[in-house]
This record gives sequence, C-alpha cells and structure tokens, in this order.
Amino acid sequence: MEIIAAYGTAMLILAVIFGLYMTWGIGANDLANAMGTSVGAGAISVKQAIIIAMIFEFLGAVLAGGHVTSTIRKGIIDPISIVNNPEILVYGMLASMLAAAIWLMIASAKGWPVSTTHSIIGALIGFAIVGIGPEAVKWGKVGSVVMSWIVSPLIGGTISFLLVMSTRKLIFNTDDPLKNAKKYAPAYIFLVGFVISLVTIFKGLSHLHLKLTTIESFLVAIAFGIFTATIGWSFIRKIKDDPSANKSFSYASVEKVFTPMMIFTACAMAFAHGSNDVANGIGPLAAVYSIISSGGEVGQSSPLPLWILLLGGGGIVLGLITLGYKVMMTVGKKITELTPSRGFCAELAAATTVVIASRTGLPVSTTHILVGAVLGVGLARGVGALDLRVVLNIIISWLVTLPAGALMAMLFFFTLKGIFG
Amino acid sequence: MPIMSNRHLSGLLRGSPFKPIQAHMRVVFSCVCLIPPLFDAVYRGESSLVSDFADQIKQLETEADKLKSTFRLNMPKSLFLPVDRKDLLSLIGDQDKIADTAEDIGKTFSFRDMTVPEGIKALLDELLEGTMEITASAKEMIEQLDELLEVGFAGRELDKVSRMIAGVRRSEHNIDEIMHRIKKKLFSIEKDLDPVSVMFWYQIIDLLGLISDQSENLADRLLLFLSK
Repeated sequence: MEIIAAYGTAMLILAVIFGLYMTWGIGANDLANAMGTSVGAGAISVKQAIIIAMIFEFLGAVLAGGHVTSTIRKGIIDPISIVNNPEILVYGMLASMLAAAIWLMIASAKGWPVSTTHSIIGALIGFAIVGIGPEAVKWGKVGSVVMSWIVSPLIGGTISFLLVMSTRKLIFNTDDPLKNAKKYAPAYIFLVGFVISLVTIFKGLSHLHLKLTTIESFLVAIAFGIFTATIGWSFIRKIKDDPSANKSFSYASVEKVFTPMMIFTACAMAFAHGSNDVANGIGPLAAVYSIISSGGEVGQSSPLPLWILLLGGGGIVLGLITLGYKVMMTVGKKITELTPSRGFCAELAAATTVVIASRTGLPVSTTHILVGAVLGVGLARGVGALDLRVVLNIIISWLVTLPAGALMAMLFFFTLKGIFG
Repeated sequence: MPIMSNRHLSGLLRGSPFKPIQAHMRVVFSCVCLIPPLFDAVYRGESSLVSDFADQIKQLETEADKLKSTFRLNMPKSLFLPVDRKDLLSLIGDQDKIADTAEDIGKTFSFRDMTVPEGIKALLDELLEGTMEITASAKEMIEQLDELLEVGFAGRELDKVSRMIAGVRRSEHNIDEIMHRIKKKLFSIEKDLDPVSVMFWYQIIDLLGLISDQSENLADRLLLFLSK
C-alpha cells in the first residue's frame, strides 16, 4: 500500500506512456491490414483511409471496446492472493504492456504476422505465473480466449463464403448483373450498418449510461442501417454501364457498383479494429488506473473511465499520422487482387465477426479473422491464388508469440519490481 | 526504425494465375497470326520475306517460352487455387505447343525454297482459314477465364464457355475433313511433283492440322476446370 501511495503518480504516468506506445504501434502497423483491402480496390485513397480510421477507431474503442478491455483487465488474472500487495499487479500490468509493445515492434520490423491480442495475453500470463503464481491465471478463461482465436477466423471465413455465394446468386449469375447489383447494393450496405450497430447497441452501451431495451436497440439499428443504405444509394445510383470497360472484362461495370460499398466496410473495419485491438492495448492501463485511483484496491470494481478509451484512440491516430500512412500505402498497393465485390464480402464478414467477438468480450485478432474471411472467398472459388504459407506462418506466430510475450513480461516485471522496490 | 506491416494479408493474396495465362495465349495467337502472311510470301516466292516472317514467329515463340517459364516458377505448391494447379500448368504447356508448331512451319519454309503446287492452293487457303478460326476461338475461350473466376466457374458464364468449347470441337472436326481432302488431292497430283517436296508438303499439312488439334486440347483442359 505504501508503495502505491508513494509512487502512484509516477506509475500512472508510466502506464500512460506504455499504453500510448502500444496503441501507437497498433496504429502504425496493424491498421493497414484492416483497411488495406478498401485502399487496394481504389474505393478510398490513403488519406481518406486515415480520416476514416481516426473517426471510427475512436468510435469503436469508445462505444464497443469496454467489454474487451474488462476481459484484459480482470478476466485473465485472479489477483485475490495479492490483495495486500497491489503494487505487484501494477508492475505486472506495466510489464505486460511494455512486453507486448516491444514484441510487436520486433515482429513488425521482421515482418512476422503476430497479433496485438496474442502478445498482450501472452504477456499477462507470463507475469501472472512468476508474479503471483500459476494458480492466479484463470486458465479456463485463457482456454476460451485461445479457442476464440481458432473459431473466429472460421466464422469469418464461413460468413464471407456465404456472402460471396449470395452475390453470385443475386447479382453475377443473372441476366442483367448491373441492374441487380444496383438493386441489391443498398441491401448489402444496410447489412453493414445494421449488424455493426445492432451488436454495438444491444445492451452494450451501459458504460455510456445509455440503456436501451431489445426493441429499442433493434429500431435504432434498423434506422442506422437505412441511414447507411441511403448514403450508399446516393453513390451507386450515378453508376452507368461502361461498354468500353466491359469489353475486356464483362463484369467491369458490376464491380464498379461494389467500389463505393467498400467505403462502408472500411468504416466498419476501423470500428471493429478499434473495438478489439485498441481495447486490448488499453486494458492494462485501465487496470493500473483503477488500482491507483482506488488507493491500492485490486478488486477493480470501478467502471472504466472514458478518458482511457479516448487515450487509446488518440494513440492509434498518432501512430497513423506518424507511420501508418506509409504502411497503408505499401499494403494497399499490394492488395489489389481482390475485386471490389470480393473485398466487400471479406471485409464485411471480418468486421461482423470482430464486433461480435468484442461484444462478448473475447480479445481476437482482426487480421487473423480477415485472413480467414479471405480464405472463405477462396473456398468459394472467388480469388485467383492464395498463398497458404501465410496460414502456416500465422500458426507458427501463435506458437511463438505467447511464450515470447510471457518471457518478456517476466523480465520487465522483475526489472520494475527492482526499480520501485 | 524499420517498420513494416504485419505482412500476412498482402502476402496471402497472390497474383491471379489467369492473367499470365491470358498474356501467354495472346503471344501464342500472334505467332499463329503470322502463318497466313508467311504462306502468302511462299505463294509469291519472295524468299527474303519468308525468312523475315519465320524470324518473327521464332521471336514470338521465344517470348512465349519465357512467359511460360516465369509462370511455372511462380506456381509454388502452397498456392490455393480455384482450379487444379496441375491443370493450369498443363494448360500453359499446351498453349506453348501451338507456338512451337507455328515455329516448326516457319522453319521448314526458311530452310527450303518451296513452291506451292497449283492443285492444292485453294484447299490450303481453306485449311489456313480454318486454322486461324479455331485458334481465334481458343484464344477467346482463354479470355473468358476472368469472367469464369468472377462467377466461380459456374452458372451462366459456364454455359457460354461450354458453348465456346463445343464450337472449338466442331471447328476441329471441320478441319479434319479439309485435311482429308487436301491429302487426297496431293496424292492425286504427287507423281507430277518433286518427291522430296511432296514429303515436305505432307509434313506442313500435318503441322497445320496439329495446330487445330492443340487448340482443341485447350478446350479439353478448360472443360476440366469447369467440371471440378
């Protein structure tokens, strides 16, 4: 208790710095994957992607990020045995943030496909084992989190597979694909707005003191869906048949209908990313804050303050402005193989899966789910070639990231413990 | 700090294998397109023009070969494709054989100053026309691969391509019939011709027939994609 009283402010400042560092890294690197598809398809420019990311990452973190943050904060570790030494938990959370951030930095520099989520979970487990004891890790919860890493890409893939099939049935395999594309496009855009807002609103905004009943939630989501569909319709209705483009590729005009639709999935992806990855990054910061503000209480019953979510969003924006811009440009240039219709399906599937996972408090990886969604498109025979080595790399990165994050967290934990005494 | 993205998404998406196949087919087709002007030069006995065309065909064939090798090198086994990888590799191999055959025809004419026997000229023209027609439809068929990918190798586009495949097969049948007539004709006049030249004319007619056989093979390969 004395340590918290003496060094509380310093610890909080450190936590804010580490939290910013981590979210900065997420913004600089991770986001390019989430939105690269839309950039690659030419739906949005890099600049527009950055602006969309700024707004929707923020919204995602603030509106839908609370559940994941609380899982990181109190779902993984049971601090009951260190009630009298709350500083242990503070060291641990600081060490976890630093370990995850540094591991991400190393992996990014090497081009390894690691996930923020997996790094932070690995770090938390590592700290808990040496700092408190293996029994302090809620292994059941860890198990369900790890299961979600396997299940979520499968769900994303299934949804995207079904979406691609539906576009074939309703649009491509018909007499007048362009007419049908324009007819069904608003419905697809409605789906983007409706699903994302419904998952977010459905009893999920209590931390904003906004409590809606089930029916109210549905009504608001429908209204929001119609709102997005109307905006989309205003873009799409101007699209005309282009016979010269159709000559080399007869579905060129149809694909043009999907291009503006990818603006909406880009927003949805940024929102989903904010709700999961940003929330992950600031979970430990939230834990440190709650211990220090309560004067050393590890029970952590205090609600998540809004400024922490805002700080997370701010870190992402900072990362985007400083480095994310460049990464987005590089990745966007490479992701041109997905036609707009396929990119739309993949992004919609991924965003939906991530937001649902966030809503249930499961920390998942946006990028891995997106990879699953793209594989779903591939299974529907919808994309030229996918390199499955990437899937192998992801599996390897799973196996490496957990112990790497854990080891680094242990190291930093003892260092911090030594510094503060 | 050397920051790169977590590269997996851009690494996951490889270039479409159909684009290089189409590019290759276009080069092969331009090889075949040079055959009628080559024959025209032979008719007129302009040997410098003949060797010029033969050279051009050879250059295009080399280009097609390069495209084929690059394609093969970029097809690792780890790729997940909408069609069978082996079928794709065989398809480009079959396309390449058409260019090889065109080159063989060019070579024969550039080694030997050949005069066209008057009796087979008309039939030869008919055969050339048929050969051009069947390669052109084979190329059209390959150009449809993009569209097939868009609809997942099923549905309406499949019907269209199946019709194209059937068309190629009919043309091949037609060409067989022309070959039969031209060989019969050549046999009827062969005692009045130089025996060695006759041998070469049989060979050239067979090479032209080979081009349409090979075009038909492309149609069969494509059918494999569709029946998966």
